[in-house]
Parts: sequence; C-alpha cells; structure tokens
Amino acid sequence: MKNRNRYISKVTATCFILPAILVVGLLLLYPVASSVFYSFTSKNLIKASYKFVGLKNYVKVLSDPQFLSSFLNSLKWTALSLIGQVLVGFTAALALNHIRKGRGIYRTILIIPWAFPSIVIALSWKWILNGVYGFIPHLLVKLGLANELPQLLTSKGLVFGTLVFINIWFGAPLIMVNVLSALQTVPKDQYEAANIDGATKLQSFYHITVPHISVVVGLLVVLRTIWVFNNFDTIFLITGGGPANLTQTVPIYAYNVGWGQKQLGVSSAVTVLLMIFLLIICAVYFRILNRMEKEGPQ
Amino acid sequence: MRRKGLKRSLFADTISYSYLTVLSVIAAFPLLWILLSSVKGKGELTGNPTSLLPKTFTLDNFRTVMGQLHFGNNMINSVIVAGSTTLIGVTIAALGAYGIVRFFPRFGKILTRILITTYMFPPILLAVPYSILVGRFGLVNSRIGLIITYLSFSVPYAVWLLVGFFKTVPLEIEEAAHVDGANKIQVFIRVVMPIVTPGVIAVAIYTFINAWNEFLYSLILMNSTNKMTVAVVLKSLEGQEVMDWGVMMAASAMVVIPSVIFFMLIQKKIAGGLAEGSIK
Repeated sequence: MKNRNRYISKVTATCFILPAILVVGLLLLYPVASSVFYSFTSKNLIKASYKFVGLKNYVKVLSDPQFLSSFLNSLKWTALSLIGQVLVGFTAALALNHIRKGRGIYRTILIIPWAFPSIVIALSWKWILNGVYGFIPHLLVKLGLANELPQLLTSKGLVFGTLVFINIWFGAPLIMVNVLSALQTVPKDQYEAANIDGATKLQSFYHITVPHISVVVGLLVVLRTIWVFNNFDTIFLITGGGPANLTQTVPIYAYNVGWGQKQLGVSSAVTVLLMIFLLIICAVYFRILNRMEKEGPQ
Repeated sequence: MRRKGLKRSLFADTISYSYLTVLSVIAAFPLLWILLSSVKGKGELTGNPTSLLPKTFTLDNFRTVMGQLHFGNNMINSVIVAGSTTLIGVTIAALGAYGIVRFFPRFGKILTRILITTYMFPPILLAVPYSILVGRFGLVNSRIGLIITYLSFSVPYAVWLLVGFFKTVPLEIEEAAHVDGANKIQVFIRVVMPIVTPGVIAVAIYTFINAWNEFLYSLILMNSTNKMTVAVVLKSLEGQEVMDWGVMMAASAMVVIPSVIFFMLIQKKIAGGLAEGSIK
C-alpha cells in the first residue's frame, strides 16, 4: 500500500513537469534536430521532394563571401551595440542609484524602449529619421549641424551607426534595470566602513561596488551578446540588410537564403552554424554560473 | 569637511539629474513622436517636420486605420494569439516550475539549463523547421499554428522566471497542508498558487507582451491579411505604394500603447528577474 502511494506520488510529481518537457522536446529539440537533418539535404521552400547532398550546403555557405561579410557584420553589430548598451545602462543605473528623489519616475520613463515591439521600433525611427520629412534630419539642419538633410538610414557611411544607436536605445534599459537591482544588494554598511577608513568614493566604487555586481554584469553581457547576435527583427525591419548588404547580419542572410532564394536546406546549414557558435558562448555562460554558485550567494 | 561633502554631493546630483533627464528625453521621444504624429493633420506632418505640437488636432488617421484598413481584425487576431499563448504557456510553465522546485531539484537544475539554452536558440534557427512542420500539418494561416510556435519561446522563459518565485514559498506551509490530508495537486492549487499569484501575473503579462510583439514567426506563418497579427500587418502597410506616415503612426500607437502600459505595471516584478532567475 505504501509503495503504491509512493508510486502514485511519483506519477503526480512527473505530471507537473511533463508538459514543460513535451514543449521543450517537441517544439525545440525536435525542430532543431530536423534543422540539422535538412541542412544535409536540398530541401526547397516550394518543392516537396528533396535529396541528400552531404556537406554540399556547408561548403556552399562557407565559401560564400556574403556569408563571411554577414558574419563580420554580426560581430560588429554585436560588439558595438553591446558596448553602447552596457555603457549607457551602467551609467544610468549608477545615476539612478545616486539620486534620492524621482527615482521611480525616471526609471519608468527610461524603460519605455524595452516595451517596444520590433515593428514599432522600426516604424517610429524610420519616421523620425526619414530623409525627407524626418524630425532629426530637419533638426540637425536647423541647428546648423548639417548642410543638407542627412540620410541616416540609406547613406552607406551612416546606416550602420544609426542602427547601432537604435539598438542601444532599445537595449540599454534592460542592462540599467538589472544593474540597478544588483547595486541595491550591495550592503550599505560596507560603504560607511570604507568612508570611516578614509577611502575615496572612487576607491569604494572599485573595491566594494565592482566586486559585488561584476558577476551579474558578466551574466547580463553574455545573455545580451546572444540576443543581439540572434536579433533579426530590428535590422530586417529597418533596412532589410541594405544598402548593398552593408547591414546584412547572419540571421538576415539565413532568411534571404531560405525565403528569398527558397533554399531551405542551405538556410538550415547557416542556422546550424549560427547555433554552434552560440552554444560555445552558452558554455561560457554556464562556466560563469558555476563559478558563481561555488562562491555562494552574493 | 562636512561642507565639502555637501558640495560634492550637489555636484554629483546635478550630473546625475542632467544625465537622466537627457536619457529620458531620448528614451521617451519615439513614443511621444508617434502620438503627436498620429493626431496631426495631413499637411502638418510634411509641411513642418520640426514642430512639436499639432496645430490642429484630428483623429482622422485613427478612423482610416479602423475603417479602411480593418485594423480591428488584426488587433483581435493578436489578442487571441497572445492571450492563448499566455494562458497555455503560463499554465505549463507554472506546473513545470513548481515541479522542478519541489519534486525534482537535481534533475530540475539540468532541465533549467536546457530551458535557458533553448531560450538562446536563434529564432531564425526554428523558423525553417516551423515553416516546414506547420505546412505539413496544414496550419499555415492558422492561429493555432502560431500559438504552438509561440509556446516555444514563452514556456522556457516563463519557467525560468517562475522558478525564482516558487522558491520563495515556505515548505512548512505545504507540509502542514499535506498533514491535513491534501494531495499534491490540492496543495499546488490551494496553498502554493495564492502565494505566488503576484509573480505569476507579472510573468503572464510579460508573456503576453512578448507574444503581442512577436514578428518573425508571424511573418513566416501568416500570409493572408485578415489572419495577420498586428506586427505583420503593420509591416505590410509599409510596403504599400502610397505611404501615409500619419496613418502608420496611428496604427503604431495602437500597437505600442498596450505594451508600454502593461510593461509599466509589471516593471518592478520583472526587474532583475533575468539575472536572479538564472542564479536561483
């Protein structure tokens, strides 16, 4: 009887996690496995039949100069966006942590970009930066900062920087909020003790603040790296990878190959390569996590 | 000594407040500009690009959006898809997160890591198999197909966030209920859920926002205008030859305002959840 009860109890316990396991299995692991499978085939978006082609897709992708340039664009896009997001998010968090009055209202306003759907990010900025009627180009001319309306989204020299700016605008709030909550876990008495010992503000910052929040910031940077690297919507909706593929990143390249050229097999090969690259970054993430758990709660 | 401290703090205050004010203007400007542009008259948008406030206030753009473009249909599609995703996804995630915390702490750790890893999968990676699978099951242009694919990103993230909330439930309360003769499911529904309700609501709202905002899968799976979600129909409006920015901004306002309001409601609960959820 007791054994039976224990058995029933085990079954009930399993029922709790079963749906989540099914979702992960059927909606994530299986599709990824099938992606790997299709990457070795000539699968086409429209035709039903396909055959095995071995490593042909991978050879094709890796020898395509466009893939290489989109990979470099991805690295550039990720690095610049991340540096900006961390810089702005971190300094904003420090400022928010410093002030006494109005923290709530500033915080509420500053997180607005986070809530934006990608399509509205794209449309609003395209409108604000529009080369004919845009607010910013006209403002720059009015202020005498430009002689003619700057084409911020179509000129080859400006477009990448503009996209990175928009991505910083969108991503900095997330960093800010997380760093702020990490800052608030730093015990106040440590600052007081340091102050009594004659430490300057800068010294306290380096020896108390930085060690306390470095792990959280490290985790955030890794997570953010992956998301920014994966980002498809922002660039696709604003420039579509143009002008002249200048802003084409790997996810956009994969989309163009799969849905533009209808070559799903080749597109799968691109996404599998992308996944391998990201799994390596994931491994780094878990290494940080492990170290953190060993060090105990912060 | 004291005066010096006061002076320095005043200096730091000035810097902090000015910096935050500048950032706030940049952060809020697109939302503000959407709203202002949506109520300006036609000539005003192109005639005077740098004027802030509308000279004449009009709701014509909103009338066009609702009347001519039948945007209401797409809003309903998005509400159904995002709402169902939230309901199903959060239910699955709440059960899963509780199961991980209470019954399978060791296996749970592995499962949580798998969930985090899957959350890092590039959406484009899943787009290829989804388009093939959804086609095979005849679910192209169907809300059900879209809801199923949305579970793929909402469940892992919700589990991840919820594990943190369930860990705050004291075991003693549950044990007391067990002693009183309640079984696991009764304990979960009557004892545990009421305690974590605020957290679950926050996660549900966040799930809703993410599904409401989603673009890529909807782009790939929905291709008839009346079945499209708001994000994709906005994109298709942009492709039309005569582009009316006032109308576009009115439609954008209708998409972004629910997101912003919901987000502000839950900001305190989700804040820091990213880093914390992964640690706990």
